[in-house]
Formats: sequence, structure tokens, C-alpha cells
Amino acid sequence: MGLTSQRLLAVAALLAVWQLVIWSGSLPSMTPGVPAIVTAIANAFTSALFWTSLAQTMTAAVTGWVIAVTAGTVLGLVIGSVPMLDRSTSILIDFGRSFPVLALMPVVIMLLGATAQMEIFVVSLSCLWPVLVQTIYGARRMDASVVDTARTFQIPRLLWFRRILLPSATPFISTGIRISASIAILVSVGVEVLSQTPGIGRQITLAQQAQRWDQAFAYLFFAGLVGWGIAGLLNLAEGKILKWNRQAND
Amino acid sequence: MTETALRTPPKPGPGTVSTKNASVRQAGGTFRERSRFAKALLNVLQRTWLIALVFAIWWTASANSTNIFIPSLEDILLSLRRDLSNGVIGSGASYSLTNLGAGLLLAVVVGIAGGLVLGETRRLREIVDPVIHFFRSVPQAALVPLIIGAFGIGQGPKIYTIAFACMWPVLLNTIDGVLGVEPTIRKFSKVYRIPAGLHFRRVVLPAALPQIVAGIRVALPIGITVMVVSELFAANKGLGFYILNSSATFQVPETWAGALLVGVIGYILSLLFIVFERRILSWYFKSGAK
Repeated sequence: MGLTSQRLLAVAALLAVWQLVIWSGSLPSMTPGVPAIVTAIANAFTSALFWTSLAQTMTAAVTGWVIAVTAGTVLGLVIGSVPMLDRSTSILIDFGRSFPVLALMPVVIMLLGATAQMEIFVVSLSCLWPVLVQTIYGARRMDASVVDTARTFQIPRLLWFRRILLPSATPFISTGIRISASIAILVSVGVEVLSQTPGIGRQITLAQQAQRWDQAFAYLFFAGLVGWGIAGLLNLAEGKILKWNRQAND
Repeated sequence: MTETALRTPPKPGPGTVSTKNASVRQAGGTFRERSRFAKALLNVLQRTWLIALVFAIWWTASANSTNIFIPSLEDILLSLRRDLSNGVIGSGASYSLTNLGAGLLLAVVVGIAGGLVLGETRRLREIVDPVIHFFRSVPQAALVPLIIGAFGIGQGPKIYTIAFACMWPVLLNTIDGVLGVEPTIRKFSKVYRIPAGLHFRRVVLPAALPQIVAGIRVALPIGITVMVVSELFAANKGLGFYILNSSATFQVPETWAGALLVGVIGYILSLLFIVFERRILSWYFKSGAK
């Protein structure tokens, strides 16, 4: 039996267990069974509301993520290559990255309202830290011989930044970018759950409040699928872009 | 500056030839001591000036704020101190942190056990791999309305949500750690027919421990986030409830205070975790491994 069919079998077994648990009555009565969820997933495909909410969530997530990646890379390269700045910002950055940004939601809602801009702000604030921290790590790890060579040849500052610092930090930066992409999805959905900003998260809450549990599970399934797809794509892209790095390490 | 001070040789003091060496050494010692002190002071200054600056700017910029949503930092800290001293925050924090601790513990136990099994059995790992990655990708915050909707706003559902969210990094890191065990060590264990229980406990687990602890380090901030979100969504106790309740009753300084406090708690927990990591993995760091 091939691996694929075994995997399908595993999924089927999981669904069977789910259905059995439902039948056994040990879960609250509103939990939907497998057929109900499957129907709801199929219905979601043809529902305009679903695609609009998915687009809203994705727009906010991607916008916030792009802002965070840009800001995090630039700031990180500067901070990581200037030891004085590195030391000065270390506590602030440690504090920032261990700050659960979603706890700020009530404050941010007071200031910006439950708007798409607010969602983008929270997403980019959450995604900034992994990119920033990884970039700083990458910029710190400059080879001393490379630094000396660049100094000897009097490489101009900008060229040095673009052709020496950036490539050597790229493996680290790409890890940060990958981590922050999944955070972007998580946080955008989380913001929608908490603030009722339009998107998948809001739809899940609404479906649950309307006792449409099948729909809520279907949306949850899609949210997971999107996160999974993005993680897979970025892994693939990282492997392709950083081929030179892998080869060098081997 | 201190570097050059160190490098300039201390001037030989007066004295006979036999004591000259000693006096030089002594001079060098105090020199080094003084410059070490200066270095430490400089280090502390370099690390803290920015925090102090941010604090000062916030304090002065918000002092005369007319926007009711941006209270002065003084008001925020005063209400924080009041609610800390009258125990309102204390009881909320102990509720929240109990949930976090219980959820994290559950996640660690299940994650390590599952990770050990999956790491050791290649076929099973390959079969369930897509399922694991799917569950890991489900946005944890989206689970909160479902779990709370189904099981109510009690403590149990919150703990399970935290455990579910924190389990995946622990599980995946444990698998990685198990896969990273030296093949030679594995062969030794097999050749000497170490019983399965002993093999897991004394061979695989210690070898995978650095990676497992790294997984828990990833899980900790996720757990804190889910803890707060579960309380911000619906609760009648806890830090998240404190924030939500103050914002619902327009106690703006309290809302800010609660949010900042959660941040500080998150920071302190991550520092404590580093201490814990150093201690539990001291053998690993001593071996110079990276």
C-alpha cells in the first residue's frame, strides 16, 4: 500500500473517530458530525460571503506582513551591523517580541476603531519581531575576514549593504519571513474574532453565535488550509532561493 | 576608550628591582578592575538608555493629553498600582497564570510523548505528517469562540485551548530532536539490548532535550496569547477579563494598565524561561554545543 493511500486512510480513521465521539454523545450536542461539516465546506465554495471574507482576511494579513518584512529587514540590518545600536535596543526588542500583541486589542480598538487599518497595524506589529530578530542575528554573524576584505577594498557603504550584508543575512531573514507569514494569518483571524472586523474570524464567531456550528467548522477548516498552504509555499520558495546556501553548507 | 587604557602599560612605580614586578602587577590589577567596572557601567548604560528615553518621552508627551483614549502614563501607572495593591490584578493574574501553567504542562506531556513515539517510528510519522501540519496551521485564536461556545466560559475549556495551541511546537520539536539522535548511540542502545522504556528515558529523551526545550520556548508566547485571547473573548475572571471589563466600562487608564501588565508578564516569563533553560540544559551548554 502506497504512502498516499495510507495517509488518506489515516485521515479517514480520524474522521471516523470524530463521528464515533459525536454518536457516543460525549461531546456537547451542537458539535456537528462529519457529513454536516463536509456539506458546509462544499457550500462555502459557492458562497460569495465566504470568498469575500477570505479575501478581507488575506488582504489584511498580506499587507501587514509586507509592511513588517520591509521594516523588520531594514531596521534589523542597521541594528545588527552597528554593535552600539544592537546593545542599546536589545532590551526593547526582547520586550517587544515577548509582548502578546493581541492583549493590546482593546487599547488599539479605542485608538483606531474596529477597522481594516487597525487589523493591518496589529498584524504588522506582531510580524515585525520575528523578522527583526532574525535579521539582527543574520547581520551580526558577518565573517570577520569578509568585513576586513570589504574595508580593504573600500567598498562603498550602499554596495556593502546590498551585496555583502544582505546576502549573508538572507538565510536568517528568510526564516523570519517564513515564521511571520504564519503569524500574519493567526493574528489577522484573531483580530477578527476579538474585534469583529470583517473577515474569516468574524464569520466563525457569527456562525457560532447563530448556532451554525457546521459553518463555523468549515470556516475553521479553510483557515487552517490557508495557513498550511502558505507555510508549504514559503518552505518551497525558501528551498529554491537559498539553494546556494544549502550547497555551501553541504 | 577602556580598550586603550588597558593596552597602555602601567608605569613602573618606584622601588627596588625585586618589588618592581609586584608593584606593576598590582597597578595592572587595579587598572583592570577599574576599567572592568567602567566597562560594566558603560554596558548597563548602553542597554538601558533607550528604555529610559522611551519612558521619558511617553511620560511627557502624554502628560497633558486631552484625548480621553490616551491617558497620561502617570494615570496608567497610578491605576496599575492601586489595582495591584488592592488585589484585583493579583487574583486575576493568578487565575490566568494557573490556566497557562496547566495548559502548557498538558501540551508538554502530550507533545513529548507523541513526539517520542512519532520520532521513533518512521512509517507512522510519514503517514500522519500532513495531518499534524494541518492542525498546526489552524489559527488558534479562531478555536476560542468554538471551544468556549461549546464548553462554556469555565476554566477547563480555556486550559484545553491553551494546551491544543501549545502542543504543536513541542510535538514537532520533539520529533526533530529524536531524529537528531546520533546513529552510533542508537546502534549502541540496540546492540546492548537496552529495554524500550530505558532506551526512551535514558537515551532518546536526554539527547532530544535541547530541541524539546526549544519547542517549549516557542510554545510559551503562543500560550500567553491564547490565554489572553480566551479571556478577552469571554470570561468572568483573569487578566484578559480585567482588560476587557475596564474597556467596556470606559476605564481607559485601567485598560492600558492591563495590556501593559500582560506585556510585562510575558517578558518576565520569557526571561524566567531562559534561566530555567540554562539550568536544565547546563550539561548541554557546558559541552559547548551550539
